[in-house]
Amino acid sequence: MPDEKTSGPGEYVVQMKQITKIYANGAAANRGVDFNLRRGEIHALMGENGAGKSTLMKMLFGLEQPTSGEIFVNGEKLVLSSPSVAIAHGIGMVHQHFMLVPSLSVAENMVLGMVPHKSGIFIDKAKAVELTRAYSEKFNLHVDPEAKVMDIPVGMKQKVEILKALVRGARILIMDEPTAVLTTQETAELFVELKNLKKQGYTIVFISHKLNEIMEITDRLTIMRKGKSMGVYNTKDVTKEEISRLMVGRDVVLSLQKDKAVPGDTVLRVRHLEYINEWNKKMLNDISFDVRRGEILGIAGVEGNGQKELVDMLFNFNTPNAGSASVNGKSILGLPQQKIRELGVALVPEDRMLYGIASGASIEENVISDRSGEKRFNKGPLFNMKAIHAEADRLIKEYTVLCKSRSQQVGMLSGGNIQKVVVAREFSNHPILILADQPTRGIDVGATEFIRKKLVELSRSGIAVLLVSADLNEVMELSDSLIVMHNGSIAAYFEDTAGLTDEIMGEYMLGLKKQSAEEVRRVCHDQET
Amino acid sequence: MLNFLKMLATPEFFYSIIRISAPILFATLAAVVVEKAGFANIGLEGLMMFAALSGSLVSYYAGSWFWGFLAALATGVIMSLVMGFFAFKLKTDIILVGIAVNMMGSGGTLFLCKVITNLTEGKAMASTTGLITRSLCIPDITIPLLNQIPFLGRVLSGHNLLTYLAFLFCLLTSLMLYKTPLGLNIRAVGENPDAAASVGVSVMKIRYTAMAFSGLMSGFGGAFMSMAYAQGWSLDMVSGRGFIALAAQAMGGGECLGGMLSALVFGFAQALGIKFSAIGLDSNLASPIPYAVTILGLVIFALVRSSRIRKQHSAAALAKGKAKAES
Amino acid sequence: MTRKREIRFIIIRSLVAICIALLVATLLIFISAGGDTFHEKLEATGEALRQMLIGPLFRMSKKKGTSFELKRLADILAAMIPTIFTGLSVCIMFSANQFNLGAEGGIMLGAFVSAMVAIYVPMPAGLHAVVAVLIGGAVVAILMLLPALLKTKLSVSEMVCSLMLNYIIMYVIKFLMNTYLADKSRGQIMSYPFRETSAIAPIVNNTTFSGAKLTWGFVVAIVAVILCGLFMYRSRWGYAIRMIGINQAFAGYSGMKVGSVIVLSQVLGGFLAGAGGGVEMLGRYTSFSWSALPGYGWTGITIAILASNNPYMVPLAAFFMAYLSKGCDLMATYAKVPAQLIDIIQGVIFLFFAAEQFLAKYRQKLVVKSAEEEIARLNLNKEG
Repeated sequence: MPDEKTSGPGEYVVQMKQITKIYANGAAANRGVDFNLRRGEIHALMGENGAGKSTLMKMLFGLEQPTSGEIFVNGEKLVLSSPSVAIAHGIGMVHQHFMLVPSLSVAENMVLGMVPHKSGIFIDKAKAVELTRAYSEKFNLHVDPEAKVMDIPVGMKQKVEILKALVRGARILIMDEPTAVLTTQETAELFVELKNLKKQGYTIVFISHKLNEIMEITDRLTIMRKGKSMGVYNTKDVTKEEISRLMVGRDVVLSLQKDKAVPGDTVLRVRHLEYINEWNKKMLNDISFDVRRGEILGIAGVEGNGQKELVDMLFNFNTPNAGSASVNGKSILGLPQQKIRELGVALVPEDRMLYGIASGASIEENVISDRSGEKRFNKGPLFNMKAIHAEADRLIKEYTVLCKSRSQQVGMLSGGNIQKVVVAREFSNHPILILADQPTRGIDVGATEFIRKKLVELSRSGIAVLLVSADLNEVMELSDSLIVMHNGSIAAYFEDTAGLTDEIMGEYMLGLKKQSAEEVRRVCHDQET
Repeated sequence: MLNFLKMLATPEFFYSIIRISAPILFATLAAVVVEKAGFANIGLEGLMMFAALSGSLVSYYAGSWFWGFLAALATGVIMSLVMGFFAFKLKTDIILVGIAVNMMGSGGTLFLCKVITNLTEGKAMASTTGLITRSLCIPDITIPLLNQIPFLGRVLSGHNLLTYLAFLFCLLTSLMLYKTPLGLNIRAVGENPDAAASVGVSVMKIRYTAMAFSGLMSGFGGAFMSMAYAQGWSLDMVSGRGFIALAAQAMGGGECLGGMLSALVFGFAQALGIKFSAIGLDSNLASPIPYAVTILGLVIFALVRSSRIRKQHSAAALAKGKAKAES
Repeated sequence: MTRKREIRFIIIRSLVAICIALLVATLLIFISAGGDTFHEKLEATGEALRQMLIGPLFRMSKKKGTSFELKRLADILAAMIPTIFTGLSVCIMFSANQFNLGAEGGIMLGAFVSAMVAIYVPMPAGLHAVVAVLIGGAVVAILMLLPALLKTKLSVSEMVCSLMLNYIIMYVIKFLMNTYLADKSRGQIMSYPFRETSAIAPIVNNTTFSGAKLTWGFVVAIVAVILCGLFMYRSRWGYAIRMIGINQAFAGYSGMKVGSVIVLSQVLGGFLAGAGGGVEMLGRYTSFSWSALPGYGWTGITIAILASNNPYMVPLAAFFMAYLSKGCDLMATYAKVPAQLIDIIQGVIFLFFAAEQFLAKYRQKLVVKSAEEEIARLNLNKEG
């Protein structure tokens, strides 16, 4: 363990000055961010998804290099060119997705890359176990050194990750949303351990957007929004409401012209959906709602609160443990995607590169993937190329896909144009229900505006739209009515988005408030079950 | 029928199972290690062909089996590293690299054999069987004391040096994988390369090492084919053992010991085939037995695996149910 | 990158790969060529290379000089017949990302089955060959259900399974020939002669080609190329096969029946290999005497890689391989370089064609250049 000789208590162990990070594609993740850490504190780094907190921490851990700005560790200016440099300077990171090898034992994972030898050849297993045990006891992080990582619960995996950082001499621990995968009990346990580490002089960065946790455990907090720091506060000096206001909010309130919705019959009907993931965490808890013809129902919420799981269930990428979902009275749970599509459901998937497109195929081939078997595109055994060309050209024109020709590879297009190809397909085959999952994430302003307008237009023509978005602007502007998801449940339902403020949204999104069951039940317009 | 069983219950029969399994076992170990490192080397067949050729030729020129044996090993290692270069550096699909090596391993070895013998012997030979004498082959070893034991002695003693090495290597490979830092790194790289890289393990170095290991094992296997199993090299003599090894790896659950058992099963199938032809069955009906057993083995393995997964799923569902009841 | 540059890159890359392979070949020829002095060896190498590169189409004699010979062209075209079929077979299977290597056994089985129909089932001329070839294809197609279904239902590796099938097919055919089907009156193991009704006729009278066996089978092969091209690029099934090969998750999400299409690709691949065997057998031979796998399946894999799984490119790739193969044969006859050199050349070309990063830096340069031009053009437009 490195000894402490420089700064005394209260001084900064880490100073990041005027950090700017611009990625190769031109996206600015951080703009002039100042961030500092006092020795022995637990410091929360807060912000919505995409606020730039992960990027900032990646730079501190050497995974990314800042475009400009300076980083000082223990008063020494450093170029953190790789994680090993960061580790050598006592910085450790516990990733949200564990960097563990499942079939190896806890002790083996601990010593990977720095294995103790025995008689020159063999792993000194006893030594590895002993080392693990020693650290485990010293820091009060209880793990079973000989158990295989795949057999231990998530909470213990996280302890292994923390121990891995400690055994490599970390004095500063970056924890990326550590509680996202933990159950309540595990979270409580983790907090005891973190406080214990703090007592021993360790500094901890705690990335999170869970207000209660932050109030409970942190000393100071830095809030980020849109790549900028919104300031540093002593935790005890701010209220949850203030934090919520600083964290959740819009820079510019866009106002989109749209007529008032005239909702019709229920199209999608979801009742009591429950899902428990493979780590035994309840990701969906009694979700019930209806989406009607002609309306956009938005689902707002900080990412990771069950939205992804909900969409997965509705398009059969996963199966729920209980509950039902139907489109026009026909159950869709467990149906093959082909059948779901036949019922008139379209999905703009969150992961557009994995599901949305075949990047090596042409634009034309991508826009007909859901309708290639239809009569109008086939003449006997062969394609009706004329009809297909016409369809592709029509969609390219209608959706203003910027390209050389319909035969250009989709993978060569810009992100915005790729997404336009996806929506061109999903919006155009006469859907009765569109599931739009983060439809404008990471794409340029022009394409974003276009897709949003299109969604409104389609809903006004009588299509039911379920819009899932972590972008507050989007979900508040587009939705006619709105659900807020928090922790796998519906925290609130707003029949009308008019008059909703960022503050109100923030309080529900961050779990400060929750509507009563009766209030939430109003989203089920058909009450007879 | 009874007579036939009696024929099988001889020490010679069990002896032949072990002997036949040895080259498959070498190739299986190669397959096990690369699989642990996270990829597949389907070029084992071709590697063994090249190793078999170089082994027999060098032992002839050097007049000593030992040098031939070393040449076979070197050939396997060098060629596997070239394969690694194409796969890892030039990003060629590793399956296609394997296919290319297998293609060259068939006609290409014959080409080399003819060219080299033409240069040195003055006439192009299509095999090296005419050049290799018994003394140029890797010797058999009689184990004192063990050979005194009735029955068992005749099963276990008197095998080729490489046969013993095959089973020894099975043990050593298992030790390497599970008891040494290298093995730990190989398994880590195969399962989660990001995790390995994050603690400073060089993923590339480990992949090349695993590749070289598979080349080394193919070298042993090739040497066995041309310098122990047969006297000298001939075209297509490996006859699918490199492919059977891929199946043995899968059937053995990706472990050395399981792979060894699978190799013995194939050895048994082939020994049985030979016995069948000995009692008058057409050898062409007996020869496909190991290949058919391979497919059958893969199917059985897959069925067992899928039922195990189903069990896990229902167990998980049960756990889910419980969790739900509690919450 | 502009389309013109893309094509130029592909051509340059192919040429470089071929040149590397020929360089390796030259080196090997030099080592194996006769001659005692360096000069003699060099001369022998030159002669061997000449035979290999020019010989397939031109007769070279000291007196008359070099002259084009139609028969040699016909020979090459005839040699393309089986490999066009296996090339197409592999194209379709590899397009769906199915590494089924059963074309090798498939073509032997197809040839065998067609031969049996040609011998034992009396039928009118004209129809006979068609039926025999179709049955040959159908049997292999059915057999390919095994690796295909094992893959989709149990995720058993289609590669290992198809490789094992190759050996099983070979031994079972040898067994059947030895035990039941051989014509005992002949000196070696071969079947009874085919019925004359089953022969695939030569395109023009053989004497024009001085004995070259260019049959209507070649036309059938070209028709198969066109049908496969239409299937892959102009039909919904071929489209589904290609999309699954590019991104299986996307295909499933789009509502394609992924499992069925994977089975279809392998069954179709099997049919093509089997039918190819039938066409080759009834066109070239008068009785069945294959006692080992013919190697056409492996050549088919090379062809598919050279053609980057595009059926329309298969004849070109097959021509190239047949030309090289013929060249190596001639070289072996005239220059004492073993004909198996073809396997090494084939392997080297194969490796470089399949290497994704081969000349990647050069490609990157072209991409950057195109992007810069694009930006310049846009700027110009803005100003103007």
